[in-house]
Amino acid sequence: MHFTRRALAMSAVLLAALTSACSKDSTTAPSAPAPIVGVAVVAKSISSIQISFTSIAGDVSYDIERAEGTTGGTFAAVTNVPAPATAGAVTYTDASLKTNTTYRYRVFTNKNSLKSVASGEATTATLAFGNAAATITADIAASRTLFADTAYTISGFIHVGNGATLTIQPGTVIKGDYAVLGSTLMIMKGAKIQAVGTADAPIVFTSSRAAGSRQPGDWGGLILVGNGVNNRSGSVAVEGTGTDGATVVTGKNYTVVYNGGTIATDNSGTLAYVRVEFGGYAPLQDQEFNSFTFCAIGSGTRGSYLESLDGLDDSYEFFGGAIDLDHVIAFETADDVLDMSEGYSGRVQFAIGISTNQLTPRTGAGFYSVDLEGIENDGCNGTGCDLGHSSTPYTIPMIANFTLIGCGLQSCMGASGGHGMMLRRGTGGYYVNGVIARWSADGVSLRDTTTYVRGGSTTTPSTSADLQLRNILFAEVGPAGTPTLFQANTATPSTQFALDPTANSLTLSTATAASLFVLIPAVGTVPTTLSSFDFTPSTGSPIATGGLSTFTGSMLTKAGTFVTATTYRGAVDPAGAKWWAGWTNYARN
Amino acid sequence: MRLSFRSILIVLLVAIAPFALHAQSGTAQSGTAPAAGRIVGRVIDAATGQGITDVAIQIVGTTTGGMSGLEGRFTLSGVTAGTVTLQARRIGFAPKTVTGIFVEPGKTVEQNISLAQAAAQLSAQMVTAAAERGSVSEALDAQRTATGVVSAVTAEQIAKSPDGDAAQAVKRVSGVTVQDGKYVFVRGLGERYTTSSLNGARVPSPEPEKRVVPLDMFPAGLLQSITTSKTFTPDLQGDFSGALVDIKTKEFPARRSFSIQAGSGYAAGATGSQVTSATATGGEELAMVNHGRDLPTIIRNLGSFKNINLNQGDMNILVGSLRNSWTPTVRTAAPLMNGSASIGGNDPVLFGHRLGYLFSGSITSGTDTKDDQIRALADRGTTRGTTVEMDRFSGRAVSQSVLWGGLANLSTMIGNGSRVSFNGLYNRQADNDARVENGAFTADAVNVRISRMQYVQRSIYSGQLAGEHQIGTLQKIEWYATASGVRRYEPDRSEFVQVLEKDTPTGPVVPRWLSGGSGGAVRTFSDLTENSHEYSAKYSLDLGSAARFGSIKLGYLARTTARDAQSLSYSIAANPSLTTNAIRELPPEQLFDGRFTTASSKLFTFGPLSQGGSYIARDQIRAGFLMAEVPLSRSVRLIGGARYENDDLEVDAFSTLGSPVLTHKVWNDVLPSLALTMQLSNTQQLRLSASRTLARPEYRELSPIISRDVINGENLRGDETLERTNVTNADVRWELYPSSGEVLSIALFGKQFTNPIERVYGSGSGGTSFVFYTNAKSADNFGIEVELRKDLDGWFGKAFAPFSVFSNVTVMQSQIHLYPNTQASATNLSRRMVGQAPYVINSGVSYTSGNGKTSATLLFNRVGERITAAGGTPLPDVIEQPRNVMDFSLRLALSSNVTLRTDAKNLLDSPYEVIQGTVTRESYRTGRTVQAGLQWRP
Repeated sequence: MHFTRRALAMSAVLLAALTSACSKDSTTAPSAPAPIVGVAVVAKSISSIQISFTSIAGDVSYDIERAEGTTGGTFAAVTNVPAPATAGAVTYTDASLKTNTTYRYRVFTNKNSLKSVASGEATTATLAFGNAAATITADIAASRTLFADTAYTISGFIHVGNGATLTIQPGTVIKGDYAVLGSTLMIMKGAKIQAVGTADAPIVFTSSRAAGSRQPGDWGGLILVGNGVNNRSGSVAVEGTGTDGATVVTGKNYTVVYNGGTIATDNSGTLAYVRVEFGGYAPLQDQEFNSFTFCAIGSGTRGSYLESLDGLDDSYEFFGGAIDLDHVIAFETADDVLDMSEGYSGRVQFAIGISTNQLTPRTGAGFYSVDLEGIENDGCNGTGCDLGHSSTPYTIPMIANFTLIGCGLQSCMGASGGHGMMLRRGTGGYYVNGVIARWSADGVSLRDTTTYVRGGSTTTPSTSADLQLRNILFAEVGPAGTPTLFQANTATPSTQFALDPTANSLTLSTATAASLFVLIPAVGTVPTTLSSFDFTPSTGSPIATGGLSTFTGSMLTKAGTFVTATTYRGAVDPAGAKWWAGWTNYARN
Repeated sequence: MRLSFRSILIVLLVAIAPFALHAQSGTAQSGTAPAAGRIVGRVIDAATGQGITDVAIQIVGTTTGGMSGLEGRFTLSGVTAGTVTLQARRIGFAPKTVTGIFVEPGKTVEQNISLAQAAAQLSAQMVTAAAERGSVSEALDAQRTATGVVSAVTAEQIAKSPDGDAAQAVKRVSGVTVQDGKYVFVRGLGERYTTSSLNGARVPSPEPEKRVVPLDMFPAGLLQSITTSKTFTPDLQGDFSGALVDIKTKEFPARRSFSIQAGSGYAAGATGSQVTSATATGGEELAMVNHGRDLPTIIRNLGSFKNINLNQGDMNILVGSLRNSWTPTVRTAAPLMNGSASIGGNDPVLFGHRLGYLFSGSITSGTDTKDDQIRALADRGTTRGTTVEMDRFSGRAVSQSVLWGGLANLSTMIGNGSRVSFNGLYNRQADNDARVENGAFTADAVNVRISRMQYVQRSIYSGQLAGEHQIGTLQKIEWYATASGVRRYEPDRSEFVQVLEKDTPTGPVVPRWLSGGSGGAVRTFSDLTENSHEYSAKYSLDLGSAARFGSIKLGYLARTTARDAQSLSYSIAANPSLTTNAIRELPPEQLFDGRFTTASSKLFTFGPLSQGGSYIARDQIRAGFLMAEVPLSRSVRLIGGARYENDDLEVDAFSTLGSPVLTHKVWNDVLPSLALTMQLSNTQQLRLSASRTLARPEYRELSPIISRDVINGENLRGDETLERTNVTNADVRWELYPSSGEVLSIALFGKQFTNPIERVYGSGSGGTSFVFYTNAKSADNFGIEVELRKDLDGWFGKAFAPFSVFSNVTVMQSQIHLYPNTQASATNLSRRMVGQAPYVINSGVSYTSGNGKTSATLLFNRVGERITAAGGTPLPDVIEQPRNVMDFSLRLALSSNVTLRTDAKNLLDSPYEVIQGTVTRESYRTGRTVQAGLQWRP
């Protein structure tokens, strides 16, 4: 039957047409080849640097060029390397270079007798004469000492286990491995860290990349997990952990659960003169690590003279617990300086936070924050908050003598940031003798009735309330031309005595922020040296006086012997030592 | 090559034209005498539904006759034209005479015959040809005669309903609910417990985090039947507990026929009005998008970005390489359109050897809206269990959809005892969605507008070669080899977020780009393919006499499945120190038009969001079974046996930190089953059955990494220690078949689950959370199902003869028990199973005029409130509210070969609503639609 055969043939044509409709076209127009993206350079020795990148299939060869210095100089040809037959890694080691010298490299692609535009430039420095080196890749189960004469690299997720003490000598440098994403040091429940440096020999946690090419998010951070108390039920994991699963595998990012502890006085060790630099890698979207994370850390733990530098998330974050800190500083914090929640009840005295802009994070590590604040305190949030914001214990910290200076521009603070102090979701706390300056939205944003009309926060007399703001000076807060102490659309604080600006000496100053201190950088400038900063009150500065010099009521109880009342406001005694000088760092890369 | 819609149409028309042209002349060449016609059909056992071989069939008063062969099939050629009477006889069965069969010269008439066993019915039967036909009866026969408990929807029923695809059709089955218009839940058990097959072979799944098959990928016009098996027999694959939904594509018709159908429709609120509309690069309207949405090669070359640190120049190049399309345009929505064509027949094309064939194609397209769309999250109130609304958004979503497909089925008999057939199927579907919504992030106290465009394309192919061989009268071998594959392709989803800012408290609202954070401008590219090969062979041996029929069956099955799931996301942010309000106020298409990606620009930061999260899975199943059907007495039969399954499964994933994570599982299971069927009387039957089945974890659930879920944007963690679920099932069912086409049945069912897998929430510090899967301790599920189909003349007299009513109601309950003090304790410890509805109601009335020319059907569906997600403590569970859905369809024969079809859907337009405590988590309306079309069947 010829017609049916024809029909079958035509149907075959139809099926063929359908099938080929799914196949892909390919047309190649001769045009300049795409440049290489992601050129990486790493110092291999005191005289060599390795250039590496991934080739693109079809390319013929690559021209590598070099210039000396971080800027300027002239690019000169180094070599031409042929492209591999299939796309793959191309590495070239450039030798006979000067010691401890910075070089920039770029790559041109050759293909079809055409040359691409230059790739982006990659910068690094050859190594200096130096230390012995050791790489830590496995969890630390037994007590161990890290020595000052060795440069350590934390490579992977290193957990110091229950019962072990990690002792770190003054002057030791520990680098988070840039090549192993998110490398982080975690002190687990029952373990201790004894990292006691000195002003002359601080202990430094930093990026494994060369100075000059470091970025926020190069590695994770320092995480302490304790047996202290928090207010969430169930089983709560440290955010960002668990990307390698829940099963414990040494050196991997397994789930770390931190809540459920009951020992308010738990001791996780001592930190003194410790810097954490260029941390904050985000193993998951929007789940960056902080420079210092205190997860249910008991009051037996102490921290003094700490610096967070160029971290990608918060500088100091507290999830429950009761650790006390004194003399802490944060420079170029990418999110909040102090972030307390989940029932944290410790005390912090003498805290400096200063930001001038937001640094560009490492590619893939995370992004610029949209909500920079000086203090961001929450009661409880998320699953396991059995009574919502009112879950107990409440978050009732004491923060005394703080100088928190924002970057001054709303564009820098992010769309929903710019609040000097953000108090919400049922938090309480004692905030006293502080300076809040250059926060573009307002001085204080009080949110949620669970915060400001909660039983404890409205207790009378106000000296027994658990939410008190006393003797704080606000300068350059609010949008330009509209100084704003309290955010308008939330609470009406004047009806509540503990928040009454007049009764509690909450001063909306007309002075400029710069005039309050001996020296702080102007808005929009990006200083990098210690000499650009002196947080001491300037002569005649209103913050040299006006402190609450006597504590009473519940604030006195909270302060105990740890927090002393002062006659000045801010983190620095006008007649005292420049406590931040000597051991801190202000590098930006 | 690229295909346009027009070229496809031309190919289709060219393919069909020869049939049309020769449809008339073909009869003269058919090789039979001009004055004679043909009768074809099947003889089946009225009690078991099995085909009966060796039945003598004769045209009364002539010498024309023959014997039935494989599956009881017979063909009588050279039948003198006119009205004839046919007689069927076999030892052990009551002979039957069928009168009034009208044979036209040169044409073929189909006539199936059922024979009752002689023991049950001694006297000879005489019936008319019309009474012996009927497709609804066929469905009921399938139900009556199946070994297990099954429900079927046939092509005839689908044709009478407004259902456009398999998902809509299957919701008419008792106990079935369909979620999101795609996923089937049976008896309130989640999609995990329902499996789908096409012509008996497993369908691969195109969903990234699940293994389910969206049934809306199968156009209704290609379906012969959808059979839902609810009890396990050893010849079925062991990993279902709720149901096995088998989709059978149409077989060839007995005589050459073709039909063309075309229609158009109106969707209230969409058709003809101006709607926001996703942008296109070409090909979207035919589900064949061009390369305009491909991930730019320069980004693809960077892979996972591990240890690649981009400098500013790199980032400018990469941002500039993305397609500059972020916000929807406004267009007039096109009306709903549908069309189909099919041709089939049974002709001696292979050197006089007969070949059955069917080629069929169909296409549906339209624009749907979700109006009054609201979504919000629920936060915890300060009293335990209370809820507070947060992050509320409202807006409208508009989706342009297309679904087309075709099938080619060929079948031939080799001798009288063997049949070999090929079934080919190819379907494609696409949704191009645009959604703009305004809302607030409560905790941050910012108002935002989110513009989202998403294009998802799915395709499925299946090719199956199958054979049946009758060896003598007692033995039969059946086999098939199937290759099938699916792809879910979602290229270039875009999300753009603007903050609605006011510079002064009373000033105007200005939308400005959310230039910081990771979510202000995001592009996502995902692609998933799954391919499967399945081989099966079954042998059966009939035992005993025809009156006391028994059999033994054994078989083997091997299936290999390979899945490759990829998802890549990128985000663009702006350097805060260079970002001004003037820049942030630019519309995105200006922001990304190249002005900020010149070599000297320093504004944009570009980076990957979801390093990792991709995975590859390989799954190999080997199974064997042995079962026997034993007559214990004339009216009681026992069906028992067991199945052995070996599963070897590997999931190979990359964590977000770039390290490979491999999971390997091997499971061996023996699954016994026992069923008892009792013929209580000629019209009543009772079945009892007990079995063990299992449910295996989905592939993604076994990989312990945490990654961002492509569909919901939640962080998702698998667990390599997950165990499969063992299920013990028990069913009792009583059935009454008062007359042809009528049924009343009552079924009780109970299931007990050990280690059921539940989706739960894990908590992270600072209020972050992730979803993960865990083995719960146990779960129970039990219920009752009532089904009724009745012609009304019996109740209300002859005047109501054209009417029949049908209804099925399932009432059920389940309880799941989680282990306390695990990471899963963040959900309520004891509750109904996720997906469980307490009841499902399907009802309808149909009218068929005496001459069969006019028919109308009114259908009603309501599903009780069901948990769509377990709540994190102390929040209540998330509940989808009951919703009444009513559809109406009318079929009117305008002439002998033209039929008018009119369908009205969603007449009540009840809102879809999901609540959690006092918070409305999601709600929208889909609007009413009316469609009309003509079908021409010469």
